[in-house]
Amino acid sequence: METTKAQTMTRARRNHVVWSHVLQFIFLFPCLPYSLATGFIAIFCVTNSADSAFDSSDDKTETAPSPSDAVLAAQQQRVDAMQRASRATVAVYGTDGQGGGSGVCISPDGYVLTNFHVSSPFGHRMRCGLNDGKMVDAVVAGSDPTGDLAVLKMVGRTDFPVAEIGDSDKVRTGQWCFAAGNPFVLATNLQPTITYGLISGVRRYQYPSGTILEYSDCIQTDAAINPGNSGGPLFNIRGELIGINGRCSFEKRGRVNVGVGYAISIKQAMNFFGQLRSGRVVDHATLGFTVTTESNGKVAVSNILESSDAYRRGIRYGDEILRLGDRDVATTNQLKNILGIYPDQWRIPIRFRNDSGVVETYIRLQNLHLASELEEIIKGESPQQKLPRKPPGGKDPAPGDPVPNGKEKTDAPHQLLPTKRDAVDDLFVEKRGYTNYYFNRVELDRILGLQAARGTWKDSSESWKISGEIPGENLAVEMLLSDASLTLRLGDKTETVHPLQGWPKWIKQRSSIGAVMGMRIWQQWNRIGPRLMGEAVYLGRNPVVGRELLLDVTRITVSDFDVMVYSSPESGLIEVIEVFSDKQTDPVELFFEKYETVDGRATPKTIRLAYGLESQFLVSIHQMQNSEIPAGTGL
Amino acid sequence: MQPMLTLIFVIALTFRIATTSSFATDSGLDANVLINNETLIATSQEKVVKLYGAGGVRGLESYQSGIIIDNSGHIVTSWSTVLDVAKVRVVTFDGRRLDATMVGMDPQNELAILKVDDAGLVGFDLSRAAQASTGQRIFAISNLFGIAAGNESCSAQKGVIMASTPLTTRRGKTKSLYQGRVYVLDAMTNNPGASGGALIDLQGRLVGILGKEIRDEQAGIWLNYALPMDVVKSSVERILSGNTSVQALDLKAVAQPHRINDLGITLIPDVLAKTPPFVDQVREGSVAHRSGMQTNDLILLLNDQRADSRKSLEKMLATINRADSFYVLVQRGQELIRIHVRP
Repeated sequence: METTKAQTMTRARRNHVVWSHVLQFIFLFPCLPYSLATGFIAIFCVTNSADSAFDSSDDKTETAPSPSDAVLAAQQQRVDAMQRASRATVAVYGTDGQGGGSGVCISPDGYVLTNFHVSSPFGHRMRCGLNDGKMVDAVVAGSDPTGDLAVLKMVGRTDFPVAEIGDSDKVRTGQWCFAAGNPFVLATNLQPTITYGLISGVRRYQYPSGTILEYSDCIQTDAAINPGNSGGPLFNIRGELIGINGRCSFEKRGRVNVGVGYAISIKQAMNFFGQLRSGRVVDHATLGFTVTTESNGKVAVSNILESSDAYRRGIRYGDEILRLGDRDVATTNQLKNILGIYPDQWRIPIRFRNDSGVVETYIRLQNLHLASELEEIIKGESPQQKLPRKPPGGKDPAPGDPVPNGKEKTDAPHQLLPTKRDAVDDLFVEKRGYTNYYFNRVELDRILGLQAARGTWKDSSESWKISGEIPGENLAVEMLLSDASLTLRLGDKTETVHPLQGWPKWIKQRSSIGAVMGMRIWQQWNRIGPRLMGEAVYLGRNPVVGRELLLDVTRITVSDFDVMVYSSPESGLIEVIEVFSDKQTDPVELFFEKYETVDGRATPKTIRLAYGLESQFLVSIHQMQNSEIPAGTGL
Repeated sequence: MQPMLTLIFVIALTFRIATTSSFATDSGLDANVLINNETLIATSQEKVVKLYGAGGVRGLESYQSGIIIDNSGHIVTSWSTVLDVAKVRVVTFDGRRLDATMVGMDPQNELAILKVDDAGLVGFDLSRAAQASTGQRIFAISNLFGIAAGNESCSAQKGVIMASTPLTTRRGKTKSLYQGRVYVLDAMTNNPGASGGALIDLQGRLVGILGKEIRDEQAGIWLNYALPMDVVKSSVERILSGNTSVQALDLKAVAQPHRINDLGITLIPDVLAKTPPFVDQVREGSVAHRSGMQTNDLILLLNDQRADSRKSLEKMLATINRADSFYVLVQRGQELIRIHVRP
């Protein structure tokens, strides 16, 4: 680097003047050097400010080298982004104020993303520290032990500061990023600590080690991630949320940052967010087949379950998998990475090649664990049963573990806890298989609330007559629904089934009467409500083929079969009803393509029946009659 | 007055760093540098390879990193036990798996050069390699912790060169054969698997190679450092000019050669494909004893030729007449000692 004489002189002069500022400072604060470290930081700041003060006042004749505007602007942007990001970052503590991890608020009504390993030791309720220095109560709303995510709900406000959700698919190695959180529980004033770093790698896959916990498709950073950072946000340089920090590589250097931290991508977190709000213990997925990377680099199916949806969609042993979800597949690791970001029961696109060519279709993902396995895990992680984690040699599953309570504290605080139930306790309902059943009820109530605003069918009679036609074919369609039987008249053909039993046989035959079964579910949902039809569980939000938005999904177990009801999160209207006979058979899929308001009620106008992605027919509904509507009930 | 002086020193240091960095931003390396990080790192990642070899037991990793240093398949890396295999497996950025042979090693700098044949690899331009100065920003690219596999890119880290200083001052505290100058880094770079990784400046020029893990036994602190390019280049030149070679020169066996037994040493039993020539015993009064060889010496070089196994040592000894003297380079603890063996 060459420096001209003039520049050297300028520097020398500036040096001199700054020195005088600094010395003045030292005389004013002679006691400062007690702590060298503190002194260093303080002096550094003063040098900078003295510098700029000088530039603007005394140095009029010479141009002192100063950072270019672009650099200053970039710095200001960074400062702004960090301040913005800090507001949505929360510190997570136990109710006794002990322990500590981090989280990030993503909705104004107080939903917080954090790690499962942060929330699990605290039981169902905890305290969240906000950037403004206030503590609020929070309850756990859902957990994903496999993906190490949990969702908490903070209470008491509807205007919590939220993080702006970024696009983790656009994150590239070499970009700047920063983590916010509560490392070493330093934030006594609840202001998060910011650590700055580089994206070290993307789409990393970290094997489950010791537990079922698996980090797939995660973001690697060298921003310092330490104990207490767990569950906290990773932001890109614009302050958009790109990940949830939660794991590090440790070997022999102890449980502190070694320059390698991993964040769960925000894409994965948001895919699961809908499910996590359901109060359930959420599961990850399998494809129903396994793959190996062959020597020629081909990712080929090495084993496939004949009962899987993948098999029914035509995937066979030896077929080459080309694409899954929205990404190409070149290695087994990539396939695992892609699969890891989706909840079970999602239906995602796949492209594969067999002997006859390339096939594009969709497959339904299957659950990775049995319900009992998940229960076991939750039980093992609950505060009573929780054993000290043993880091299994290499990579530790729980890096930025919440800072441990400290052994002497674990016994005592329980006596100090208030035993009286309070408002927060009302937000918790214990139920087997759920993290917090309360939220399952909340979500189903939300859907029913949306629907109620579109008109009610509660007063309609049990016997309905639906008439319409199959457009283009000029074929009249009539459906008769009653508690006695279900009938479909298609032209001059008539079929009848029991209103509840014997359905699986017809579903296996892909019978047209599936349309009436779907309509019957629609009728019952709207007349008596899902809770009286069977065991109704809100699952979360799933994609539906041909729809851009994720839809709310409720599963109802009616006698011996399952029904999935997909409704719009905006209007509450039912868009798809699926009726499953068993796991080996494609379900009835009845799409409600079009609604119209008739007599103040949203009424289906076009429905479409499909089995396994194959459309059977489309019906234009002309009339829906329910014989005994009491006068004046239309809203 | 003492605290005051310390403080002034600190201020001086701080100010120096401040001016250096503000100058860096003025002189053409403007904001574009920040924007182009992704491209810079992406292109550099293509020149760093993942290496797999011996190890995997007792805390010894079986993997490390390597830097492609030209367009004819040469890879420079740390000389370590990972390389104690006939063929080192090289995995490139695009997932290709190649076999490399060792061209040679330089024990003083603990560096080795591998070569892969005809794979069309594109490497760093060593003539563009740069000196780095204290306070300069750098990026480190390595496969630390073996995180990347197959076609996944090596990890990138950011940092600043804190000091450029000889490692010798740490002698006796840290375990390192290399005693020369290093760049000390403020980043957590030197993790398992990182050694042999690249240190680049903000223009994508190679400025150093990440060293092996070093820990201060007393303080328990791990050092993050890299060997500067002048050191790397001197090793590369030495090795490529054939001064230290693994290939035993094509010498004929002589009628009356040296034999290990006759020298008065016992090596550890030859049980592996490449058993290191490790001295188990030295007979009192023998040639080896008189020359100064000791139990637990590891024989590295014989007349500057690499003796990578007991077999190769025997082969090389067979070319030296019993009456002639020769040199061995041994590793004794953390020291390298050159011994003149005189019959």
